[in-house]
Amino acid sequence: MALPHTVGIPAVRPRASVWRRARTREAGTALLFLLPLFVLVVALIVYPVYRAVWLSLTDKLVGYPERFVGLRNYAYLAQDDTFRAVIRNSVVFTVGSVGLKVITGVLMALVLNNVIRGRNFLRGLFLLPWITSTVIIALTWRWMFDAFPGRGFFNSVLLDAGLLHRPIAFMATPEGAMMAVIVANWWRGFPFFGVSFLAGLAAIPRELYEAASVDGASAGRRFWHVTLPGLKHVMIVTTLLSFILTINDFNIVYVMTRGGPGTATQIFATYSYQVAFGQLRWGRGVTICLFVVPILVLGIVLISHYLLRDRD
Amino acid sequence: MLDSRISRRSLLAGAVGTSALLTLPRPAAPAVKKGTSLKLWILKTYVEPTNKAIEASAQRWAQKNGASVTVEYFTFEDMQTKYVAAIESNSTPDIGQLETSAPARFAGMGQLIDLTTFARQIEGQVGKAPANVTAVTMVGDKVYSLPWYVMGGFWYVWRDVFEKAKLKMPSTFEEAKHAATVLNRPKDNFYGMGQSWNRTSDGYGVMQSLMYSYGVGWAGKDGKYKSIKTPAMQSVMKWATDIYKDGVQPADTLTWTGSGNNENFIAKNIAQTSNGPSITFALENALAKATDAKDRKAKEEALANHVALPHPAGPDGRRMWAIAMSFGIFKTSKDPEAAMSLIAHLLSPEETVAVMKDSYGQFGPVLDKARAASKDYFNKNDNYRTFGRAAEWFAPTGWPGPTTAAAAEVQASNVLTDAPAKVIVDKWSVDQAIDWEDKKIKEIYDTLRG
Repeated sequence: MALPHTVGIPAVRPRASVWRRARTREAGTALLFLLPLFVLVVALIVYPVYRAVWLSLTDKLVGYPERFVGLRNYAYLAQDDTFRAVIRNSVVFTVGSVGLKVITGVLMALVLNNVIRGRNFLRGLFLLPWITSTVIIALTWRWMFDAFPGRGFFNSVLLDAGLLHRPIAFMATPEGAMMAVIVANWWRGFPFFGVSFLAGLAAIPRELYEAASVDGASAGRRFWHVTLPGLKHVMIVTTLLSFILTINDFNIVYVMTRGGPGTATQIFATYSYQVAFGQLRWGRGVTICLFVVPILVLGIVLISHYLLRDRD
Repeated sequence: MLDSRISRRSLLAGAVGTSALLTLPRPAAPAVKKGTSLKLWILKTYVEPTNKAIEASAQRWAQKNGASVTVEYFTFEDMQTKYVAAIESNSTPDIGQLETSAPARFAGMGQLIDLTTFARQIEGQVGKAPANVTAVTMVGDKVYSLPWYVMGGFWYVWRDVFEKAKLKMPSTFEEAKHAATVLNRPKDNFYGMGQSWNRTSDGYGVMQSLMYSYGVGWAGKDGKYKSIKTPAMQSVMKWATDIYKDGVQPADTLTWTGSGNNENFIAKNIAQTSNGPSITFALENALAKATDAKDRKAKEEALANHVALPHPAGPDGRRMWAIAMSFGIFKTSKDPEAAMSLIAHLLSPEETVAVMKDSYGQFGPVLDKARAASKDYFNKNDNYRTFGRAAEWFAPTGWPGPTTAAAAEVQASNVLTDAPAKVIVDKWSVDQAIDWEDKKIKEIYDTLRG
């Protein structure tokens, strides 16, 4: 009988140490598995962000070593009239494009949701702009808006139809040029919204519509009180993603207008490119891009907070 | 490694200097070790035969010397991006073809080898360039690249249109503006001029020709900032914005991105525009591809009717901005001696003329031996005679001073063309735009180091 007792005491110790050892081993394994991710995060996110922030605090010129200048780049941009125009243009370009994408995305989703035959074919067809090269899209829209007689699509159609006597130079005015780049960006991006919203529509229970119909709700009220709330989360996420992509867009504006006429369509990415690669001022070029980061971070935090609160 | 390379070059320079002092026979170009491998970056222009001719010339050198040359191209579009990326990643080529502003910029960064001794060494073999062209290859009294050719912008006009209106060909900017008003027929979609103030050399290049010809420079002869708030600059800005009044240009002129002026001129929508000889190339090429007799006749007429004039003159003379291409050797080169040998080969009159003959007039040699050898080629017709004189009228970025990194940045910052755009698009006054431009230029000169 004593055996279990005498064996029992030391038997407890190994069990605890085994548990500790197992826990250490598990922690080690976990760390080992996390290590690649950690390396990736550091190499692809932390270091580039750190480097960008550091460069923005230097007067780095291409070919020269960096020199710390504190917030001088930020102070310069704060009083740079071109940069103020860049902020204004970027906001108009982004809000205009994303706004159009939301509206047409909802329309596309509603139409496709009610199509029974050929839905998949139509869905694939609508996705064409999304999968086409951005440069091709930009060149195509530039051609569509071209005022070159006999070539610009809109002008050719209007002239041939006898509605015009002289071509309209769509992109010659600041407003026209901005409209042109917004339209090109919208056309490329709306299928993403449409397909996302279509998936969101599929998740809304049919019973809600039936109940609303029984209560006498019109189609408009059903859309307002059932469809839109049902799409809220998808809408917020797609809008946020598109906002980030659009405000950082480069190709469409560069190919279509190069930021012109004058500085009418100069946005963050194109201005940053000009300053960094044309003027060779990397520090200032990086600062231009970093200006947008707080806006994006704030947006992401607010939306995440909103989504999490809603979930709770 | 770097130190050993520098000392090797110093040794070479010293050896050449000593041999010159002792008046020993000088070698035409440094010797090349068998199996040497070089990387050469060259500009890819719209005239494809020129690109191929340069590559073929480099390969001839490689074959002759038992070496190999890897040719890589950059375009006008990605020239800056490609060099910037290479400089920051320390992967520059052995030899790079450099545009007007690049030698000053890259030498300031310490990227280029000092070629002063080498330039003197091969002068007997390849000849000398005029002083206005040589200026872009030097920083102070040191030579950092060797000039090869000038690709000028010319003032293209339609001869028949001018003759029909009994107008003489414009030789000044004022005459060009007057002609634009007289020739303008917007109802027929035909406009008097097509001059865009865009972000390409068709914009900032012409603006510099205009400014320099009116005697306006943003730097003095010493290369230091000089205010442009002058009556002459007001005349410049007035000309630049007057041509956007009264519909004498197509409404979308300001939005053209590089090819808009070519297309509109060739389609005969505009009476005059500035462009490189690629318009002539396009018309000659179109004639060669004519499908039938009628098509051929139309294309022959177009070719005969198009006239390339030098950029108009201003009250202070005729000064044409142009793309001056030269060769520089980067410090990362593992074999600078072989690189020098390849440059000497490319610059030789025979090779230069061989390339030039495939250039449709775009390639205006600058070294006197090649210029002498190219006289027959440029005597083909009036247009070619004009192309051949590009170097005479050439005024580099930063005129009347040397081309400096700051002058290059002024051009790259687009302030030269954004200023008239502010008057045309944003309805600023001329004085407001000049003040804004002057402030931006001063800021560049005040803050640029190196």
